[in-house]
Amino acid sequence: MNANPNQPNNHFDEMTCLQYLEGQLERTRALELSAHTERCGDCRALLSALERESRLLTRSMREEEEPVPARLLAPVRERMPWAWIISFGMGAAGAYWLWTTILDPWRAQLNEAGFGGTNLVTMLFFQGALWKGWGSMWNLVQVLAVVSMCVVGYFVLRRGLRRMNTIALVMSALAAALLLPGGASAAEIHKNEPSYTLPSGQTVKNDLIVFGNNIRIDGDVDGDLIAFGNNVTVNGHVSGDVISAGSSLMINGTVDGSVRFGGSMFTLHGKIGKNLMLGAGNATTDSTSEIGWSVTVGGGDVTLDGKIGRDILGAVGRMHMGGSVGGDIKLQANEGFDIGSSAQVLGKIVYQGPKPPDIASGAKLASAPEVTIKTRKLDVYSGFSWWHRALAWGASFVFGLVLMLIAPKFFSETVQNANRYGASIGIGLLLIVGIPFAAVLACITVVGLSVGISTAMLFVIFIYGGKVFVATWLGRMMLGKGGYAGFYASTGERTWKTSEAVGQLALGLLVIYGLRVIPYAGFWVTLAVTVWALGALGLTVYSMMANRSKVAAAA
Amino acid sequence: MNAADQQKLADCIARARSGSLDAWGDLYREFAGPIFRFCRRALPAREDAEDATTEIFMKVREKLGQYDPSRPFQAWLYKVSANHCWDLLRRRKIRQDLETEDVDETPLEHPDANQLDQLLEKRSSQEVRGALAKLPSRSRMALVLRYYSDMSYDEIAESLGVRRNFVGVVLLRARHQLREALAGHGSRGMAAGRTP
Repeated sequence: MNANPNQPNNHFDEMTCLQYLEGQLERTRALELSAHTERCGDCRALLSALERESRLLTRSMREEEEPVPARLLAPVRERMPWAWIISFGMGAAGAYWLWTTILDPWRAQLNEAGFGGTNLVTMLFFQGALWKGWGSMWNLVQVLAVVSMCVVGYFVLRRGLRRMNTIALVMSALAAALLLPGGASAAEIHKNEPSYTLPSGQTVKNDLIVFGNNIRIDGDVDGDLIAFGNNVTVNGHVSGDVISAGSSLMINGTVDGSVRFGGSMFTLHGKIGKNLMLGAGNATTDSTSEIGWSVTVGGGDVTLDGKIGRDILGAVGRMHMGGSVGGDIKLQANEGFDIGSSAQVLGKIVYQGPKPPDIASGAKLASAPEVTIKTRKLDVYSGFSWWHRALAWGASFVFGLVLMLIAPKFFSETVQNANRYGASIGIGLLLIVGIPFAAVLACITVVGLSVGISTAMLFVIFIYGGKVFVATWLGRMMLGKGGYAGFYASTGERTWKTSEAVGQLALGLLVIYGLRVIPYAGFWVTLAVTVWALGALGLTVYSMMANRSKVAAAA
Repeated sequence: MNAADQQKLADCIARARSGSLDAWGDLYREFAGPIFRFCRRALPAREDAEDATTEIFMKVREKLGQYDPSRPFQAWLYKVSANHCWDLLRRRKIRQDLETEDVDETPLEHPDANQLDQLLEKRSSQEVRGALAKLPSRSRMALVLRYYSDMSYDEIAESLGVRRNFVGVVLLRARHQLREALAGHGSRGMAAGRTP
C-alpha cells in the first residue's frame, strides 16, 4: 500500500495510518510512513488523532461507570420459598383429589366392565381419549408423573452418557416400562411391507405386529394383533386383543379378546368376545355382529345394530341404536340419538344431548331414558370448578419449578428463546405437525418402533410442559426482567434468584390459565401457547445440539 | 499484573482445574467484573449482559480443562466470552453479516485530522459508550474486542469469523460509524473519512 497518489500532497490514507498505529504494517511500509511523517504535518496530525481516538475508546469502555450487579457477585442462598411449599401442597392435594373423586371410581367402573389389567399406554391412548375427565388426568397426574420420571431419569443419567443417547435410553426404558405390564412376550413383527396378508389356513402362534398400507388377516392369530395401517381387515380368528390405528378397520372374523381402534372408520360384521373401544369418525356394527362385553365409543356417526352383552358408554356426534344391549347406555350425543324399532335395551339409558332421543315404536326398553337436554359445550373447561383450575395451575407450577431446579440453563435458554416469538411460533407450527408425522414414520420404517415411541413421548412432554416457558417469559415481561441470580460467590455455582423466577412463572401461568377460561378465545390461547412453547423448546434443543457439534468440531 | 500476581493466578487456575471450589470461587470473583463489563459493551441490554456473564462462567468452568496454561488466562477468557456473545447475537439474528465483498468500498482517504480532533475533544466517555451502543453488532464487537479486550487481529478474525485481512477494514469502518454516531447525522463526511 503506497501513499495514495490521488491524495493531495501524497498523504497516507487513514487505513494505512491505523494499521501503522496498530502494529499491523509491514516493516518497510512502516519505515516509509515513519519517514513520511517526519516531514508531513497532516499525516502526523492524523496519526495523533487516531491514537487519541483509540485511547478514548479504551478509556470509555474500561471505565467502571456502573457496579457489577450484586446478583452476580453475592447472591444470597435462599431458603425454600413459600411458593414451593404451597405448590407442592397443591400438587399433592390435586393428585389426591383426582384419585379419590375421578380416577378411582372410573378405574373401578372400568374393571367391572372388564377393562382391568390394562397398562398405562393403553389407558392413555384408548381409554383416556374417551373419558370426560381426560383433561384432569392428563394435567395433574399422568403427565406430571411421566414427565417427572423422564426428567429425573435424564438428569441422573446424563453425566455418564451423551445427551442424545441418554434421551433415547430414558425414553425407551420408559416406553418399555409402560408397555411391559401388559405382558411382553416375543412378537412376530412385519414392517416395511406395503401390503400384508396372513393367508387363510395359516396360524401365527404369537402376538402379531404389522405396519403396512393394507393389512389383511385371513388366517388365525393365537395372540394379540397390533396393526397400524391404512386399511386393516380381519377375516380370520384372533385369540387375543386387536389394537389398531389407521384409516379403517373392518372385522369380519372373530376376536376373542377386546378391540381397540383409533381411526376414521370402523366396521364390525363379526364377533368380539370382550370389549370394543373406539375413537373413530364413523363406526358401524351390523345386525349379525356380536360384542360380548361393553362398548366404549367416541366418534362422529355411530351405528350399533348388533348384539352387545353389557354396557355402552359413548360421547359421539350422532348415534343410531338398532341392536340389543344387555346393560346400560350412558351416552352424550351432540347431534342426536335415535333408537330403532329392532332395539332392545335391558339396562337403563342415560342420555345427554341437544334434543330428546328419537325412539321407534317397536323398540323394547327396560325403562324410559333419563334425558338431559344440553347443547354442545364450546368451552371444554366450563365443567371444571375454579378449585380444579387452581389445582391445574398448581401442577403446572410444580412442574415448572422442578424443571427450573434441575435444568436451570435449559430453562433460561428456552425462556430467552420464547422472546423470539416470531421464530418460535413459526418453528412451533412446523414441529406440531412434523414431530407426530416423524414419529409415525419412524414406527413404520427401519428407524424403529422405540425411536418412534420415544419421539412421540418427548412430543407429549413438550406439549404439556411448554407452557411454563411461555409463562415465565410472560411473567418476565410483566414483572420486569430478572432471572437467575448468578453464582454463589464462594463456589461459582450458578443459582437462581428464585423469588423473581418463581414469581414470573406463577404470574405467567395465572395469566395463561385465566385466558384459557374465556370462551372461544381460550382454545386459541391454548393452541398459541403450545405452539409458541414448542418452537422455543425446538430452538433450545437445536442450539444445544449445534453447540455440541461446534465443540466436537473444535476438538 | 506482576510476576507474583501471575504466579498466584496460575496456582489458582491449577487448583480450580483440579476441582477446588474455593479456587474457582476466587477466579470467579476476580473476573466476574471485567467479563460483565465486556458483555455490557458487546450486548445491547444490561439484562443480556448479566445473563451472558453467568452463562460464560458456566462455559469457562466446563472448559477449564481445555485451557492451555502457557497462554495468558485473560486472553482465553475473553475469547470464550467473545465467542459466546457473538453466538448470542447470531442466534438472535441481530448480527449484521456484512461480508468481505465490501472491502473495496472502504475509502482510502485522508481525513482532516483537525476535524477529527475537534470531534473527539469534547466527548465524554459516557457519550462514547452511548454512541458505541448504537453501532451495528459487528462493528461494536470489533471495537470491544480490540480496545477493551486488547485482542490481536488474529484473535478478532477468529472470533468474528472473518478473514484476518478484513479485520482492519472492520475496525476502520466501525470507527467511522462511531464518529457518525458521535456527531449525529450531520457530519457524514467526517465519518466517512473524507477531507472536507
